Amino acid sequence: MRSFTHINAHTVDEACSLLRRYRGRAVLNAGGTDLFSTLKGENLLEYPEAVINIKTIAGLEYIKEDRDGCKIGSLTKLSDIAGSLLVKERYRVLWEAARSVATPQIRNAATLGGNLCQDVRCWYYRYPGRIGGPIRCLRKGSGPCLAVKGDNRYHAILDGKKCFAICPSDTAVALAALDGQITIANPKGERRLAVGEFFGPLGNALNRDEMVTEIHVPEVPTFAKQTFLKFVLRKPVDFAIVSVACILSTDGAMCSDARIALGAVAPGPIRASKAEEVIKGRFIGEPTAAEAARQALAGARPLSMNAYKVEIAKTLVKRAILGVV
Amino acid sequence: MAEEYRFIGKATPRKDGAEIVTGTAQFLDDIRLPGMLYAKVLRSPHAHALIKRVDKAKAEKLPGVKAVLTWEDVPDWKGGTPNATRVLDRKVRFVGDAVALVAATSERIAAEALRLIDVEYEVLPAVFDVEEALEPGAPQLYEEFPGNVVPPGAPYFGPNCLKEIVMGDVEKGFNEADVVTEGTFRYENTPNPMPPEPPGAIARWEEPNRITLWVTDQVTYRHKIYLGRVIGKEIEVRTFGNFCGSSYGSKGMSWQLQLHAALLSRATGRPVKLIFTKEEHLAAFTLRPGSRMRAKVGMTRDGTVTAVAGTWLIDTGYYSRSTQAQVAVGCGEAQIAVRCRNWNLKPTIVCTNRSVSGIVRGFGGQELKCCLIPLLSLAMQEAGVDPFEFFKKNYVKPGDGYYWRNGTWYVYRGVDYSKAMDKGAEQFRWKEKWRGWLKPTRVSGSKRTGVGVGVHGNADIGESASEAYVRLDPDGTAKLYSCLIEHGTGLPSNMVKMVAEVLQLPMDRISLIASDSLISPYEFGPAGSRGIFAIGSAVIAAAEDARRKLLDLAVPLLGTEPDHLETEDGVIFVKDHPEKRIPWEVATGPDRTCMGFGRYEADFTFANCMMSFVEVEVDMETGKTELLRVVNATDVGQVIDPPGLEGQLNGCLGSAGIDSALFEETIRDRLTGHMLNANMIDYKWRTFAELPSIENVILETPFQTHRFHAIGVGEVATAPGPTAVLMAVSNAIGVWLHSYPVTPEKILEALGKVPTGVRKGGAA
Amino acid sequence: MITRGKKSGAADSPERRRINLTVNGQLYQLDTGKELDRVDPADTLARTLRETLGLVGTKVSCDSGACGCCTVLMEGKAILSCMTLTVECDGKSITTIEGLSDPVTRRLDPLQQAFVDHTAFQCGFCTPGIIMSAKALLQENPSPTEEEVKEGLSGNFCRCISHYQVVNAVMAASGKVR
Repeated sequence: MRSFTHINAHTVDEACSLLRRYRGRAVLNAGGTDLFSTLKGENLLEYPEAVINIKTIAGLEYIKEDRDGCKIGSLTKLSDIAGSLLVKERYRVLWEAARSVATPQIRNAATLGGNLCQDVRCWYYRYPGRIGGPIRCLRKGSGPCLAVKGDNRYHAILDGKKCFAICPSDTAVALAALDGQITIANPKGERRLAVGEFFGPLGNALNRDEMVTEIHVPEVPTFAKQTFLKFVLRKPVDFAIVSVACILSTDGAMCSDARIALGAVAPGPIRASKAEEVIKGRFIGEPTAAEAARQALAGARPLSMNAYKVEIAKTLVKRAILGVV
Repeated sequence: MAEEYRFIGKATPRKDGAEIVTGTAQFLDDIRLPGMLYAKVLRSPHAHALIKRVDKAKAEKLPGVKAVLTWEDVPDWKGGTPNATRVLDRKVRFVGDAVALVAATSERIAAEALRLIDVEYEVLPAVFDVEEALEPGAPQLYEEFPGNVVPPGAPYFGPNCLKEIVMGDVEKGFNEADVVTEGTFRYENTPNPMPPEPPGAIARWEEPNRITLWVTDQVTYRHKIYLGRVIGKEIEVRTFGNFCGSSYGSKGMSWQLQLHAALLSRATGRPVKLIFTKEEHLAAFTLRPGSRMRAKVGMTRDGTVTAVAGTWLIDTGYYSRSTQAQVAVGCGEAQIAVRCRNWNLKPTIVCTNRSVSGIVRGFGGQELKCCLIPLLSLAMQEAGVDPFEFFKKNYVKPGDGYYWRNGTWYVYRGVDYSKAMDKGAEQFRWKEKWRGWLKPTRVSGSKRTGVGVGVHGNADIGESASEAYVRLDPDGTAKLYSCLIEHGTGLPSNMVKMVAEVLQLPMDRISLIASDSLISPYEFGPAGSRGIFAIGSAVIAAAEDARRKLLDLAVPLLGTEPDHLETEDGVIFVKDHPEKRIPWEVATGPDRTCMGFGRYEADFTFANCMMSFVEVEVDMETGKTELLRVVNATDVGQVIDPPGLEGQLNGCLGSAGIDSALFEETIRDRLTGHMLNANMIDYKWRTFAELPSIENVILETPFQTHRFHAIGVGEVATAPGPTAVLMAVSNAIGVWLHSYPVTPEKILEALGKVPTGVRKGGAA
Repeated sequence: MITRGKKSGAADSPERRRINLTVNGQLYQLDTGKELDRVDPADTLARTLRETLGLVGTKVSCDSGACGCCTVLMEGKAILSCMTLTVECDGKSITTIEGLSDPVTRRLDPLQQAFVDHTAFQCGFCTPGIIMSAKALLQENPSPTEEEVKEGLSGNFCRCISHYQVVNAVMAASGKVR
């Protein structure tokens, strides 16, 4: 890999001030499982001057329960989340999502923060420098989006604007359904964002000198049914083509609360609020679930090659609601 | 029933097992030579362009850079069939084509140097579709190939090389038919065999005219021959082989990168290592050819094919090295699987602006069948013919004939595979599961299962020449000299096993040595499953020759004729009086070895066969297809090594075989030609987590090949599967699918479930 | 609570650092730098193992974390050495394929022996990575089910299709691993 300056940061403050000092020419490294494929691929127009290791920051790896719910440090490894009885029993969609990511080796290194902050996987964006790239595009600053006229089979069917790459994070989908909040640190202090607000069509909400430090998940009622469905070409290693996280509370056969998030269909996880409204207060059966599924995808505007994702998404929503895997 | 041998047919641990599991088996990238430099290649961002200017001054000045070469710095060496593709050219013909070469003291520095080379291009219009490439006015890739048509015929197959299948009277054939079907069929996903070890070479040029080359491929010697054809006989080429992290044929296309390494070595006076990254491996190295067939077939209700007529367009990418050979073999294989008297099938090889297509397991026959079998299936459907019965009836039988790749008519003298096919059908429970065309085997909620069957076989199991030496040493050990290396089939161990059987000597006293073209004799190398029969014959002959010489030496000492002598475990004895015995050393003396030589000449009168039955389950709501079960059936005459054979047959899931019908494809942007999935996340391959059950039914009916009556079968393992899967999925969903691979979106579209009114492109 | 406030010491100087790396029980002290015989900050563990330490048993295939051929154990966990920076391995303990067999007697680890006995390889290029993943799996789960073996190896690529024999070998070795 092309050389860079490597710095071990020992505190969050240090990491943020280094980011500020380097003015966008430095990147943070946690698990490295996404960063290094970008650096090796040389698919961006610029290469960082410095890589700041944040694994040397103590105190960011934890899974804790408190009165409000669960707090997970951003450096917590996906394998630890997958191995956590607490997460498995109380925040099951997150457990399923973390478990479904990539491969065992990757989960041993990848972190929750990194999974949320990973870059998009549009194959025009990721086109390697060394085989005639990189390809310029809006996401990189200028250039047409080649996916629009090109091969967009995996791109967004909802909320794409200027850039149609989808958010590849599985944990983001689960966290969106869980009403998760992301704590972001910067040199001045910290702020919190709902998961849904963290993602946007041209990048995430992090400013140049910020890093994610913690993810907070409010308590989930114990009787709620949590389902995470991920549609892939190859189980389990692939990124999702479509995914759904669903948390359903029922009162008898009546749905008292529903939280449904769609993944891999938009620049960020999408809460299917219309679908949630359809089934709240209603008897959960095939027709209701189908209607909710239709509503969830009602705003879908597929590109030339990804209309099939609408169908798959509807099926997953329906199946998640019905608890049919 | 097979004979009982001491070694043959028994599961013996592979001789290189310990090396492999300890990581000490040496692959190309594990080799370091003193003073070795590292090479990198600058690649074109355009699918078709002229290089107007290259400014390499800054790159040359970078400390650690020892040479930067462009098209102006290299000799006018051309490869390909015919030789029209320059080792480095002024024109680039695909995104990723080589533009400049750098050698430096480290990979990092070489990569840095690439960034310092400035190139000005004149971009030319490009063409990516075979039929568009044939149209008048289409961008021309080579002056030598007007109309982008690559001349047919592989010269090394002789003057009558098979270029088409033309025989009988197709008009008459169509008139005799009960049903006639026609259509256009494609196998154009150009999947990548994707061996784990990328292509590469280490070259050392010694002035004035010698190249030493460390190759990674299943063949060693053949690279020497091929380079000789490209660069001329004045330059001596010596090739060394190592362990090869598989090839599936593809690394036979390495001449260009080998010469890149050699030219850099010449320019720097030091050995140079050039190894492709995985992105380069996927974007700038061998793919399967693309195949488009427009054809018509006639069939009678008893499953006889009365006529096949049409055109077969083969997309070879930016040049052809082996495509003419693949056409020749594919045409031969079509006759072997489909016994028809009337053919008029005309192939045309076309070049387009994408990376090269060439040697891949299945070698043309897979590409042809992937188009022909779906067409035949339509006829079978209309005629109400069970495809299993069809394949069984139509597969070549002893006494049948076919034109093989050299244009000669051969009469088949192998075994009748009907028995093996019946056993396979029985194991799979075909009769129970087959419900008729486009009918699912089982429906359960939103899931449907379907079954399919495919077949393939190759008469190249006896192709080309091989030679070997076997040397017997006084200490009771033997050395097999051959340019063979291990590339996954277990062939070296199998050859040792054959020597062991001939000499009745334990395998651990026999070594395979000298994969060195300077020391070992001619070896075409493994290809088309020729190892067991062709290479085996040479090895057996060499061992028998050495054994004869050894026994001749014992005659005066044991006072009897050679026919009355036997050797076992390094001891020679009189058969009828085994107490009269002497160890080898007494016969030879300490200062003598016995050298045997064996040679094999091509024989195309045998063909192997593999039939694959598959069962799939389709989720009708998502389009996801799961491959549940595969049953492969074959007859190999005599199993040499049971676990080795199982591995070869299981290979149906690898090297762009079955999965090229399910999810494997090379994806390119249709407008710019960029390969979009040149990485191992976006190029899909079968994982441990989704293994179908595979059962291999293996019969042993002796072939008159050599003393072990065996043939090889691994090469054909990938070809029956894709058409079987298409058949199975179509049956499951009740709609014909003819596009490879059958991904969820294609299934949902076929079922009418994809919403219409989609946004078609437009401004972002 | 998140650690904030003044950093505990000076940021590790990017110019010169000493990395203490234990590989197969042996301690190596590597110095960082741009010279060819030093560890560049951008060097991956795979590169250091192969080029600097001469341990070429660990193979590099995709070099992007997608194929598992470069799998080694770090503190007993299977990781991708091609996606790990050597400079971030200070103080860590690595096991490579070379570390499995007995260094003196050359006796194979039972898992390696099982691979030989079951011919659980064809070309062998992916085999070291598969063995290391299997080793990590068996250390964590000494008696896995077949499903667990397959899942545990889901990050390892094999193209010759040695999978079936590999699963047999790992199942045979399970329970026999010390």
